[in-house]
Amino acid sequence: MDNQAFVRIQGLTKRYDGVLAADNVSFEVRRGEFFALLGPSGCGKTTTLRCVAGFEVPSTGQIFIGERLVNALPPYERPCGFVFQSYALFPHLTVRDNIAYGLNTRRFRRGGLVSKLSVLARMTSSRIARLPADVVERVERALGLVGLGGLGFRYPSQLSAGQQQRVALARALVIEPEVLLMDEPLSNLDLKLRVEMRDVIRQIQNALSITTIYVTHDQEEALGMADRVAVMRDGRIEQLGTPIEVYSQPQSPFVAEFLGGANRFLGRVLRRDASYASAVIGDGIEIAATAAPEGREDVSVIVRPESIRIATDSRELPGPNVLRGRVTKRTFLGPIVRYEVTAGPLSLKVDSGSDGSIVSVGSEVTVTIPPERVLLL
Amino acid sequence: MPVLRAFIYLFFTLFLFIPLVAILLTALTGDLVNIPGAFTSIERLTATVGRVAEKLTAEHLLELVTVQRYLDATRNSLLLSAAVALLCVILTLPIAYGLARTALPVKWLIGGLALFPLILPSFIAADGFMLMFGRVGWATQIYQALGGSGVPIDIRSWVAVLITQTLTFSPFALLPMTANFKLIDPVLEEAGQSLGAHRLLTWLTVTAPLAGPGIAASALLVFVITLSDFGAPVILSPRQFPLLSVEAYREMSGYFNWAGAATLALVLAILASFFLYLQRSVLRRGQYAMIAPVAGRRGIVTDRKVTMPLFAYALAFLSFPIALVASVALQSFATTWGWRLLPDGYTLENYAEVLSTSPAIYNSLLLGLGALVVSLVIGAGAAYLVVRGRMTSLDFVGNLPLAIPGVALGIALILTFNSPPVKLTGTAFLLICAYALRRLPHMLRTTAAAIAQVKRDLEEAALNLGATPGLMIWTVVAPLVLPGIIAGCILVFVTVIKEISVTVLLAPARWGPMSLEVFRHLLRGEFYLASAMAMLILAIVAVLQFAAQRLAGERALF
Repeated sequence: MDNQAFVRIQGLTKRYDGVLAADNVSFEVRRGEFFALLGPSGCGKTTTLRCVAGFEVPSTGQIFIGERLVNALPPYERPCGFVFQSYALFPHLTVRDNIAYGLNTRRFRRGGLVSKLSVLARMTSSRIARLPADVVERVERALGLVGLGGLGFRYPSQLSAGQQQRVALARALVIEPEVLLMDEPLSNLDLKLRVEMRDVIRQIQNALSITTIYVTHDQEEALGMADRVAVMRDGRIEQLGTPIEVYSQPQSPFVAEFLGGANRFLGRVLRRDASYASAVIGDGIEIAATAAPEGREDVSVIVRPESIRIATDSRELPGPNVLRGRVTKRTFLGPIVRYEVTAGPLSLKVDSGSDGSIVSVGSEVTVTIPPERVLLL
Repeated sequence: MPVLRAFIYLFFTLFLFIPLVAILLTALTGDLVNIPGAFTSIERLTATVGRVAEKLTAEHLLELVTVQRYLDATRNSLLLSAAVALLCVILTLPIAYGLARTALPVKWLIGGLALFPLILPSFIAADGFMLMFGRVGWATQIYQALGGSGVPIDIRSWVAVLITQTLTFSPFALLPMTANFKLIDPVLEEAGQSLGAHRLLTWLTVTAPLAGPGIAASALLVFVITLSDFGAPVILSPRQFPLLSVEAYREMSGYFNWAGAATLALVLAILASFFLYLQRSVLRRGQYAMIAPVAGRRGIVTDRKVTMPLFAYALAFLSFPIALVASVALQSFATTWGWRLLPDGYTLENYAEVLSTSPAIYNSLLLGLGALVVSLVIGAGAAYLVVRGRMTSLDFVGNLPLAIPGVALGIALILTFNSPPVKLTGTAFLLICAYALRRLPHMLRTTAAAIAQVKRDLEEAALNLGATPGLMIWTVVAPLVLPGIIAGCILVFVTVIKEISVTVLLAPARWGPMSLEVFRHLLRGEFYLASAMAMLILAIVAVLQFAAQRLAGERALF
């Protein structure tokens, strides 16, 4: 993956009946990069993707693939491969012919009349005509790439959801597109399959170094797979960065809360120094942080549950951000234990590893929040 | 796309809307109003409007209540339709329940027998009825052998019409009710039983009320079909029992009484529309109780005390339409059939004569083909616009022809196209358009369902993979949609062959199809020839309907 921008979206806006589905969206995807568009439903991520594919026409804005402006190109002339949430496999064709479809359309365009007729026949029904050897070879290679070698003669209805998903991927890849577009491809799979497929997709993408734009509402997917993530809300990009950046340095309460859990309180900035800041929340509790935004006093104070330390000893612990409280709820989730701690007027969600000591409900505890883990947004 | 839409609306305007206005104007003025001619020039338009305004009168509409025969016809039609609807529902309810919720033996046989009357046009059923219950009918002979005197049922009476129509239209009650019973979640019945109600009480207080809307909708459907029916009434109904469809036909074809025909046609159209609307709203409101069908064997009654009587009853009831057709079949092969239970001798002469002397079969096939092409273009085009273009107004318009009984449409078309510049009466073209119009709702429905199953992302996937829209339609949409379309086409063809009400009014002498031939033979007393032709119709219809069902499943039935 190099740093050269390969796909460029500039000022993309899409309006439906007065509703702004995408609002001045701009970003770049580098060559070979795995780029995720993440956000809740209705945030405009799918609209953006469909504009890149050519299924929607932007109201304003420009889309460049390579150095080419593709706005005027219909979907069948764009160098994209699209994987649908519903897989969209052609039910009347075998797996082989599904995957070969894209190769057949190209053969159709290139050939003379007789060739066109024979390709047409093959595309309409799997029972007629034959695929040429080079097409067969490419199809088999694609099937091997997704791990479905040998299933070429089945029909989509005879495959499981996970297998259909792989066929859809193979079909999009066999045409060797310049950009791979994926629209929530894993939403219809159960949890274990989803996790497995994440790895499969990422491996294939890495091996082929194919520029990929991946739309999802699942933050684990985005964080786990992407090189960079764009978090979207209400048609706009709220923040763009690497998974680590958007997770540990969210620039707005929305992003902080959308990625991972968050404790969120309203507060007022009290001190703002070079490497020290603090805000007052609740009944005057001062929480120390390392930075505060300029220009305003009202902030959201955000702390991730896993950043809070919980301890049962009653010694007075040194340091800022030490609070005494009582455990009011405990949920055992396997690898972690999720506590709810009431400290004065505050109610805190605290996540702790389950291999340490597990505190029982009703115990008096001390919670500590390292200032560098406090976000003032 | 806009061209297609314009073309479709043109078709509807010419062959549905203008004719409807024509019957309205004729009923209001008592005279023919040349609507197409009125639009040839401004002068003609103003002249026509002026003439209409002058002659506007309510007197013809009032004849509906002042002329005794019209009043009787309206009353009789309503009562008869209600009676047939009620009888159909009551008589087939046990069978519907049996098929849906019990373990009846040889269900496939019962199911098949239940579908059988669908291939039977009412005029052929009437022929069979006359054969069974006429003075020398075999049923009459059995009745007399058992000690009865005279005839058990007068074949020219309202009872004859009632029985024939009930037997012929029973599938239109049976099939929806069966589907309805299947959809009621057995969990609800189990809940009733767990609360202490034994089976009959559960049935009365849980199943029946839930099935209520579906049953009511079936009854209303049969009501509308009976109201519009022409074949059985024209053959079996006596002078003293006038019916709307027959009287309207007689006013037009017998007396050339434009005003009277228009008035009665108007009444027919309004009544049919009203009750069809009622049926639709009952159906919609009944959706609340319909939970998805439960797969598996839950809720199936296996108690022999229940299934055996139901089975016996089903066989008994469903054998009547078979008896009607068997009578017709026997007569078609008969030399003569007099005072015996079976014909005196057998021969193929009747078939030979029917096949050699008349071009009726050839005509039917050509007319059917013509109607097929027209309704395919219009219907498939409209279906595509409704599903992909989301034109819901077209959906409503496309279903309007259901509400216009055949006789009313025939009259309306004659009134519209009887004079230049568009004189189409007496042409095969007008007949074909009339056939196509009547079947458009069904074509629209089967094609729309077929297109809807091709989800939008299948089309987009094809586009993304490099197919131009044309290639995409050819390689993805068409193969998936074709079975449904072919089934729809076959059904149009089949209906044309069975059709009688529009045919008697519009068919030109040179183009008389098979159904008209049967009708003519019956009028001339040539019963053996009529039966032979009728059996040919049934044979063609049965084969084609079977093929259509294989292609598109239950949706292809009606």
